[in-house]
Amino acid sequence: MLVRAAAVIVAAVTTAAGASAHGSELSPAANYMIHCMGCHLADGAGNPPDVPDVRGEMGRMLSVEGGREYLVQVPGAAQAPISDAELAAIVNYMLETFNAETLPDDYRPLTVDEVAEWREHWLPDVARVRQELLDALARRQTR
Amino acid sequence: MNWLDRITEGSTRKVARLSSRRSFLTRLGTVVAGTAAAVPLLPVARGNAPEESRAAAPDESGMNGEEFDPKSCAYWRHCSIDGFACSCCGGTQSTCPPGTELARMTWLGTCRNPGDNVDYIISYNDCCGKGSCGRCLCNRNEGDRPMWMPPKNNDTNWCQGVTSQSYHCTIAAVVGVAVADD
Repeated sequence: MLVRAAAVIVAAVTTAAGASAHGSELSPAANYMIHCMGCHLADGAGNPPDVPDVRGEMGRMLSVEGGREYLVQVPGAAQAPISDAELAAIVNYMLETFNAETLPDDYRPLTVDEVAEWREHWLPDVARVRQELLDALARRQTR
Repeated sequence: MNWLDRITEGSTRKVARLSSRRSFLTRLGTVVAGTAAAVPLLPVARGNAPEESRAAAPDESGMNGEEFDPKSCAYWRHCSIDGFACSCCGGTQSTCPPGTELARMTWLGTCRNPGDNVDYIISYNDCCGKGSCGRCLCNRNEGDRPMWMPPKNNDTNWCQGVTSQSYHCTIAAVVGVAVADD
């Protein structure tokens, strides 16, 4: 609880500083390098089971209820010291770069408004939510 | 020194993962009771330089001064380093010393090259598997965040996903340019 409160405080304090370190917001590719690549690696492979492989899976997540929100509610996304617009751009970049083949037919990029609303509700039990989404995906595929 | 490495590796995995780099180093050689590491140690290293370092790094040949000396803490790429510079440990600013393993999970920062005034994205990969280098300890923290934001903290032992969590030194490889969004 205390850590969560502290994290919220620091995120609020540092967001402004982090977003404009270079006088303007960085490109999605550059922001992916700075905020995501350290764990998810340059090709998105990550280090399963501790760091998810984002290739293909993110696109599939869009096909189940709750999956779209999940992408910006995982701690690494929700708590990143970046603006909502930057986060939306990064997630869309990851979807279109690492998940082009698994995007749903009716794919539409995440909007800033969606990110702003959803990232406030970050997930204290990521593993459980993730498993529920994967189970839902598995059920879809067996139908 | 192999016996020292074995003692260190076997007894400090959990401490190294949870503690700052400096507190980990003070425990080097000390037997600490602890559980096995929760992070699986997978041999994911593919060479001793980050694959992304194929991105064009600025030409530093002919540049003089501490800001262009990879063995100096004032080296421009070291703006957010915390550890021993591999340039002083048998490696280079972009490659690990022989006998160590490059950890691909890493801390990244952004540093300005005074030669061309461009902001470059720097990957501070740890080189792992040997006892600490002990030379050229540099601690600059631009962009660093406190420990409770681990992905943005450079005190974390980034020897993750490699065979050994025994930290040796840190490189500072250019992996990209901090390009503004047009």
